[in-house]
Amino acid sequence: MIIFLRAGSELRLKLKPDVDYYTRRVETEEGKTLREILRQIGLDPAFVAFAYSEGKLRNLDYIPQEGQSITLQPPVSGG
Amino acid sequence: MAEKEKERYLRQLNLEEWDQAKLKSARVFVAGVGGLGSAASLYLAAAGVGLLRLCDPDRVELSDLNRQVLYSDRSLGRPKVEEARNTLAALNREIKIEALAEKIGEHNIEQLAAGCDLMVDGLDNLETRFVLNNYSVRNGIPYIFGAIYGWTGMASLIHPPRTGCLACLMPSLPPAVGPIPVAGFIPGTIGLIQAAEVCKHLMGLPGTLAGRLLIYDSRALTFDLVDWEKNPLCSVCGG
Repeated sequence: MIIFLRAGSELRLKLKPDVDYYTRRVETEEGKTLREILRQIGLDPAFVAFAYSEGKLRNLDYIPQEGQSITLQPPVSGG
Repeated sequence: MAEKEKERYLRQLNLEEWDQAKLKSARVFVAGVGGLGSAASLYLAAAGVGLLRLCDPDRVELSDLNRQVLYSDRSLGRPKVEEARNTLAALNREIKIEALAEKIGEHNIEQLAAGCDLMVDGLDNLETRFVLNNYSVRNGIPYIFGAIYGWTGMASLIHPPRTGCLACLMPSLPPAVGPIPVAGFIPGTIGLIQAAEVCKHLMGLPGTLAGRLLIYDSRALTFDLVDWEKNPLCSVCGG
């Protein structure tokens, strides 16, 4: 199945978008968690602090569905 | 309200549901007067929040001046809280400002934030944010979370047990990093959102960021509003 990962902020450099400036198309197997998918594409899950889709925060155990678009944000700590 | 105050706050007093008396009687603890705390406290002072208690152990450095708008070149080397108090007092002499040059920790947070109705997170690290969070959970005091990185910033209103706590939102602490890259206008934008949330909460208005996370990505020009929930397994608040 195909899902779309969208990178926020500096995470874009690690995600290596290919659809547009922020988005990467990922082909993966059904039933895989977001954490497994990140590892599949070589993105260390430690670099992802927040993931969300459809207005809801998703943890890395979330199992994406076909065609879903998920936004990823890196850790924020500054002030 | 004195005539002078009526004139000072005229443009906001005309707003439906605006309650200046609630702002005037409020006591707000500003944890950190860096980029976020600068922007937030400027607008809270201008809005007439009765007491701002500023807490920050640092002195002003040249590299602060791209975003910490309470300070100028003349502030270099001076304690931030002293400079911040001077700037805010010049802006609004009707309010009370307290300056504490203290590093916040578990050992002193109860004393530093005592008596305050609400806290503003203007901190520059996650460890101290969890000190605020623990205090919030123990005492039921809300705080306005804010954090930034690069071109992105986020904010939320955390008020356990009405909402989850920071540990529900961020179950694990990301690896510590050194000075982060940041565009100066990002803490400005997020700090102003925090100031708006403080005023809305103090006035009891609906539509706050309680249980919701606002994520602003200035590069992509997106504002995402995301619901987040209590974690029933949270080790800090217990969900």
